[in-house]
Amino acid sequence: MERSEEYIKNERKQDWRVALQKKTKAKDRMSIERAIMAETPPEVRITSQRIEVNTGLTKEQALVEASRCMDCVNPTCMEGCPVSINIPKFIKNIERGEFLEAASVLKESSALPAVCGRVCPQELQCEKRCFYVEKLHQPAIAIGYLERFVADYERESGNISTPKMLAANGIKVAVIGSGPSGLSFAGDMAKLGYDVTVFEALHEIGGVLKYGIPEFRLPNAVVDVEIESLRRMGVKFITNYIVGQTASLDDLKADGYKAFYVGSGAGLPRFMNIPGENSNGILSSNEYLTRVNLMGADSEDSDTPVLRGKHVVVVGGGNTAMDSVRTAKRLGAEHATIVYRRSEEEMPARAEEVHHAKQEGIEFLTLTNPIEYMADENGRVSQMKVQKMELGEPDASGRRRPIPIEGSEYILDCEVVVVAVGVSPNPLIPNSVEGLDVSKWGTIEVVKDKMQSSIPEMFAGGDIVRGGATVILAMGDGKKAAKNMNIYLTEKYLVN
Amino acid sequence: MKEFKSINDILDFAINEEILAAEFYTALAAKMKHKHIKETFEQYALEEMGHRAKLEAIKNGKRDNFSDAKVADMKIADYLIEVDEDKENMTYQEALIIAMKKEKSAFRLYSDLAAAMTGEVEKKLFLNLAQEEAKHKLRFEVEYDDNILTEN
Repeated sequence: MERSEEYIKNERKQDWRVALQKKTKAKDRMSIERAIMAETPPEVRITSQRIEVNTGLTKEQALVEASRCMDCVNPTCMEGCPVSINIPKFIKNIERGEFLEAASVLKESSALPAVCGRVCPQELQCEKRCFYVEKLHQPAIAIGYLERFVADYERESGNISTPKMLAANGIKVAVIGSGPSGLSFAGDMAKLGYDVTVFEALHEIGGVLKYGIPEFRLPNAVVDVEIESLRRMGVKFITNYIVGQTASLDDLKADGYKAFYVGSGAGLPRFMNIPGENSNGILSSNEYLTRVNLMGADSEDSDTPVLRGKHVVVVGGGNTAMDSVRTAKRLGAEHATIVYRRSEEEMPARAEEVHHAKQEGIEFLTLTNPIEYMADENGRVSQMKVQKMELGEPDASGRRRPIPIEGSEYILDCEVVVVAVGVSPNPLIPNSVEGLDVSKWGTIEVVKDKMQSSIPEMFAGGDIVRGGATVILAMGDGKKAAKNMNIYLTEKYLVN
Repeated sequence: MKEFKSINDILDFAINEEILAAEFYTALAAKMKHKHIKETFEQYALEEMGHRAKLEAIKNGKRDNFSDAKVADMKIADYLIEVDEDKENMTYQEALIIAMKKEKSAFRLYSDLAAAMTGEVEKKLFLNLAQEEAKHKLRFEVEYDDNILTEN
């Protein structure tokens, strides 16, 4: 939805908003402490992959937290949101107790509010731009917690709203990949009246939301409800269908699809290319998490089990590494250890995830890097040689690079190793579509902010363009692409 | 071991090494299946030609601007296994590994030659050439660090 500054200001002047603004003095709002998210105790949650860590705010907590919000004239928080949610409007709806109305405000801009409320790095986006942080140097309004509260409230109430939709225009568009970017795009295009079909290579809809993020952070059932909302908006989903293999782009064109959105993600595992890395028991984080999250390998009687071990080492320091190592703990590892080449300060994982991991007894070996794996007589990894690192002087970019310390090598025991050093874009579309401009990293080149590729009817976004980013940035790309594809298709097919 | 009778001999040797490196990358580019990797190797070949031009300029009397500043060695290349250079569908990661290892081996060659030199001028020139290769290697290592080891 387009939002002008004038629209935001007029919304703020509505009678009910003005009444709320007058109801509580600013100093009283500022004196309230930020809500604390309740958590399942670590000793309980590590017994199952499916016990959610954060349990959500209570209604009372949400009402109090919402009353902290100053309903700023210039809501800078919105500038920090990649999908431009009208944050003050949804929070003020909570403050007045209109939770379902708050949910519909979220849905004006976001196809996946319950997901974003759980996995967005709000501390780096909307909350970072909050008045409390920028001007008062106090903890931000807990925008993420409130978003989750509202989305969960709506889902549990059973009164799930459908956003306003334009009349169907009969134009078919295809979405390749059902991750956050594809779903966000699909929702916006459906609202604009397009006939949207999402093609998914796996047997489940949701992409990285399902295969990548464990249920203790994001339950699949939460994702499913959001997908159901899209179905109700008319979005069609086809699973087990690999565009570029099951059918080509030309086949889809022959089927009447007029434009394409590629949101095929970065599902290609990346390894380190060090000696012994081909040993049994060394897996990519993609495989490890997919087996558990999507194929139930955490169950003792799974048909597709995953290797378990007493000593599980996960290489990397991002959210994927934290998800993997915490999964290993839940699968019974006595020692689940992160080995990371830099210091904790440089870890790309959210601070919250590192904190939760530590609560759960995860061991951290920072400034440590594997340089070789050793296997037993059966070819199964049994040990890894690691080397201590130190951070060098900042280079021209200001970044301190890790430098190995000569002679610091030592041996770690490990029966399972999960490599989570990064991922690469899925190569299928970039490598199979003639005329598509691709970067040296294998990402699809697009016109910035338009998300249009070198093939005019093909748009792309999310990790296939960015190489690796957050759920919300991927969703933002989907929104931008929908807006611009609408312009493209309107000019080509709808204007006489 | 090859004998070097003059500074120009050393520069000719180094210029030839850059030519060979450019030819190596050009040949790799020619057999790559995917356009973006082909272009990556073509870019590396161009960079080698740039190094060659710099050495030729020095040979032709231009004052050298070798820096004495110590170049950081991230040693990323030291622990990576060799990439199969016969592959036609290399990834960008593999292209970077090849480049890092190639620069590393050039650094070693010049360092070894510097150690073998008895004359101070010749020794200094080889050390400078080694430092240049260390800089080239660092450029690839930083790219590898930023783009491949993104979460490590």
